[in-house]
Parts: sequence; C-alpha cells; structure tokens
Amino acid sequence: MESSLIPIVTVPEVATVVEIRDEIDEVKTFYFSFDRPEIEQAFKVRSGQFIMCTVFGAGEFAVSLPFSPENDRKHISVRRVGKVTAALHELQPGDKIGVRGPFGNGFPFEEIKGKNIIYVAGGIGLIPLRSSIVHVLQHRPEFGRVILVYGARSSRDLMYKESIREWKATENFETYFTIDRPEPGWNGEVGFVNQLVAKINLPAENTVAFVCGPPVMFNSVIKELKLKGLKEGHIYSTLERHMKCGIGKCQHCAIGRTLVCVDGPVYTYKQIKTLGEQI
Amino acid sequence: MYWLEQSQVEILMNKLAESYELFGPRRDEVSGEVIFDRLGNPRQLDLSAPIPYNPPKYILFPHYEEILKYRYDRKTKKVALERINHLKPKALVGLRACDLNGLMCLDRFFLGQEFVDEVYLEHRKKLFLISNTCVRPFPQCFCVCTDSGPAAREGFDLDLTRVGERYLVEVGSKKGQKMVEELGLKEAGAEAAGLKKKVVDESVSSFDALALENKAWISRATNRLTTGFIKPEVWEYIGQQCFECGACSFVCPTCSCFNVEDVNRLDGTTDRVRTWDSCSFEGYTKMAGDHNPRKPVEDRRNKRFFCKLSYSQSKKYLRPGCVGCGRCARVCPGDIGLPNVVTYIRREITGE
Repeated sequence: MESSLIPIVTVPEVATVVEIRDEIDEVKTFYFSFDRPEIEQAFKVRSGQFIMCTVFGAGEFAVSLPFSPENDRKHISVRRVGKVTAALHELQPGDKIGVRGPFGNGFPFEEIKGKNIIYVAGGIGLIPLRSSIVHVLQHRPEFGRVILVYGARSSRDLMYKESIREWKATENFETYFTIDRPEPGWNGEVGFVNQLVAKINLPAENTVAFVCGPPVMFNSVIKELKLKGLKEGHIYSTLERHMKCGIGKCQHCAIGRTLVCVDGPVYTYKQIKTLGEQI
Repeated sequence: MYWLEQSQVEILMNKLAESYELFGPRRDEVSGEVIFDRLGNPRQLDLSAPIPYNPPKYILFPHYEEILKYRYDRKTKKVALERINHLKPKALVGLRACDLNGLMCLDRFFLGQEFVDEVYLEHRKKLFLISNTCVRPFPQCFCVCTDSGPAAREGFDLDLTRVGERYLVEVGSKKGQKMVEELGLKEAGAEAAGLKKKVVDESVSSFDALALENKAWISRATNRLTTGFIKPEVWEYIGQQCFECGACSFVCPTCSCFNVEDVNRLDGTTDRVRTWDSCSFEGYTKMAGDHNPRKPVEDRRNKRFFCKLSYSQSKKYLRPGCVGCGRCARVCPGDIGLPNVVTYIRREITGE
C-alpha cells in the first residue's frame, strides 16, 4: 500500500464538492472527488494523514482526513474558524476545491495488530480518529478489544451521528458516550471523558490509546491512562499547528526539533513530552 | 588552478552575460552601501567591496514570489491553474564564502529533506556560482568560528582568490572548467595551491586584529542548546530585548521560513504568493481561532537560535545554521544578534 502513495506536492489537484452535510454547530462535512479520474484512482491515504485544502480565492488550510484508507467516501469535516474555513462553508455542492497531499506520518496500523485499542475523543477531536476507527473496524478480527470513549459539551455537539449509530450497533466494539451536563432524553453518560476513562476496566498490557481533543481534555485523559498503567509510548495523539506548505519547508509547524507536517501529525505521548513546547 | 588577470574580469562578465543574468556586489551610488544586486552593467561588479549588507538568498528564494496563478469561475465551475515559471539562468559573481555556505544550507534544506521544494529547485538548477575569497576579514565577521570562511571549499563553479593584482581561479565544476577553457585562462603552476593557502592563512590570522565586532563561541553554545541546559532566565533576558522586527531573519543567509497567501487580483485571477516570514513574529504560530502555542517572545527567540545552532537542526544543513556573516548583529536594534546570544550563553556557562 505504502508504495502507491504519491502526494500532490506543489500544484493542487482540482476536486469537486459532491455533497455537504451539517454535522454540528459551525462544522460541516464536505464529500469530494477528484476531477481527474487518474488522481481519483491513485489518491491513497493512511489513517491520520492530512491534506492542504485550497478554497479558491480565499487560501489554503491544513485539515486532517476522517476517512478510512479503504472503502470509504473521501471527505473532510471542518469547523468555521478563520478566513479560509469561512469561505469553505460558503461553498455549495458542485463547487471546486484544490487538494495537495496526503501529508504526514499517520496512525500506526500494522504495528498495533493484535493489540487492544482505546480511542478517546473530545468534541471535534473525533474527526482525525474516525479514519483509524473505521479502518480498524474494517479489519476487526486482527485486533483485540476495541473501545471508543467520546465526549462533547452536549448531545448537539457530538460529531458523526450516523457513524455513531452504526458503531453502537457494531458487535465487538465497546462504545461509551458522554456529555458535560444532563439533558432530557440523553441516556448515555454524563461528565468529562477522563472520568469515563477512569471507570473502564482496561488491561495495561498490550493496549494502545489514541487520544484527540482540546488540550485540557488531552492532559486529563493522559493522566487517567497512565494511572491505568499504559506506557507513554503507547499513547498516540495527533497535533495541529499553523501550516503553510505541508512539506516541511515553511517551518510554521515546528515543535521542538520536529515539524508536525512531516514528523507528525501523529506523535506518541512519550515524544510529545520531549518536544519541550506547549501542545 | 588558473590565473585571471584584472583586465580579464570584464571579459569573464561579458561571457557570462551571454547566458546569464548577472548578480554581484556593487556599491550603491547614493548610500555608499554594498548591495548584492542585479548588475545592469558588468562593470558595476566590485570584487574588493566589503561584505554586502544583504545575502544573495533572495535570488533563489525571493521576498515575494508568485508560485501559482489560478482563476475560478463559480458560475461555470471551471478552474484554470497554472504554475508560474519564468526563471532565467543567473550568475552570482563574487559570493563571499559565508554566503556560498548559506546557499548550500538552503540547498540541503530545500532539496535534501523529505520533500524536494519544486519552487526552489527551479531557481537553483540554473545558477552559475563564482565565489571570492576574503583576503582580509571585515569587522563584523566570525566565519572562522562557524567553519564557513574566509575561503570557500566547495559548492562553487569557479572560486577567485586575489593574489596581488590578479586572481587565482579554482575550478569547482564541469561548467566552471568549460568557462575557464572558453576564456583561455593561463594555467597556474604547481605553486598555486601554496599561494592560495598563504593568502587564506593570513586572512585567518588577521581575524583577531580586524574582525573586532563579533566573537562567537559556537561549539559550546551548540552543546548547550542541544542538551537544553540553558536557564529560562537567559531566554527571558534575550526575549526582553527583541523588537520582533524580523530583521535578523531577513538578512540571514540561511533563514528560510516563508508564508503563503492567496492574493486576489482585479482581473479575477488569484496569485498564490510565497513571502518571507520570521519566527520572531507573534502571528507566526498563531492558528485560526487565535490559539498560539508560542505566545511569549522568549519562546520564539529561543527557537531561532535553536534552529541555527542545535545539533538536531544542524543535521538538516550538515553544519550549523549560522555561517558567521555577522549581519544579524549589524541589523538588530535590540543588540541580540547571534554572536551576542552566544555570549550570553557563554556567560551562563562560565558564570562571568
């Protein structure tokens, strides 16, 4: 698989937005396909990688890829947060975008076969983790226990409701959902994700964790996972930074001695600790 | 090696002008400053001028460069995309050794990492490089501390060393050899290498007397930066003096951070523009939504010196990222050019 990955480096490839879905407040999912059939065919990703997405007339931004490398529709899910993402949110189906990439190292896949996996996501932190979750579920027998702990401020802030419905019905996939405060009609957990992680009976040996969410949540979850005995090298996260090139040249995404675009965006907690910078 | 007579310099320049746009050090008539600039007239070349105030990096890595042009018509949903490529071959004549080393740092960084930077490559593959040994150092220089001068060792097509009233020419490439043959330069005898060595040795030994502005203790600073044993107070002290003007980055022969922006033109097209950037700017790491992981100025300051001198960064350049030209010290309004920062680190080590 790896050998067929030829990223689009300098000139963006034109793609068409084929469908747009409202996910949560200010977050939309854009399904896209490349205009050139040969690119549509050749564009292969690893879970956890990202692309540089051009909104024509506005600029380019880095965005993680939520789709599985296999049998999944190409899409990105984007919060309206700055100038370029605001312009993206104005697009309609049929509009064009530009794509460079895929870039970055991605989540481990082969290396974690046979292991238990716990995914811990907060808010839109589920977006990059989705690619790994779907990929692992597509190869379910090759892994141990697979657990998802997902929390958001309220039930309205939970991403990918359709996937969640599917996942809840998936056998051998333990899913836990939590919201910060009780709500009528909510029969999941209430509280922060770290409190929920604390309650889960998790073997420390042979378990890897994938954590993504806001920094406060990240730190509290790491603490919980370490209490459970998980090794720092077995806790993975994906970092985001201001990025301009995606290919390790503009240097905007430097953290410590590494560049998020080529050395990351996936880091183990063990690595993150040695970077000597805020995440 | 070969001899190039003073009178042949112009012949060389005219020969180069047939195939290349000429760049080199020239004195600005108004300000008297030496600029590494486009030479409208080959006679503007001043090989004996002091180190130019600007490095030649802008020729390969322009301050402002359109790298892509596109037009998107939302009505018809048509996108026209075009790589901008209008680069002429260029000859850089009279490069000081520090600047040639800086250029090689850029080469290793842009061409030798995970990805090849196609924009830089386009500039780079059409150059003719002629270096010029510094037969005496200038006040700001400390290239002997950074192992990047006073004479170039590699990377040039031709290298000139002034001996008396003429130049010894060392050939560094096939392109250079061809040029020497076309000009019919006289071969220098077996004594040439010794002559050059004598000039370079004299230059090196006059640093103590002439290069008075800067002294740097690079190796120990590199060790400290790499191991991270520098007290936060040292960075805070340095940070407090930083004006965040970015001048150090802009005059540095190896600084190459850039920003990318899409600029809409009145004709309905958009240019994707690459501009110089500096890690000392607050907005450098600020993300959409205003989260900024490197907010305090000292955080940003220490990253620049880490980038120049730490071992892990040096691996990218195969040498320290500082080439000892002393320009940052000249332009810094807060007096925290690299040599001073190294001095602060040294003081911390020695407890001076």
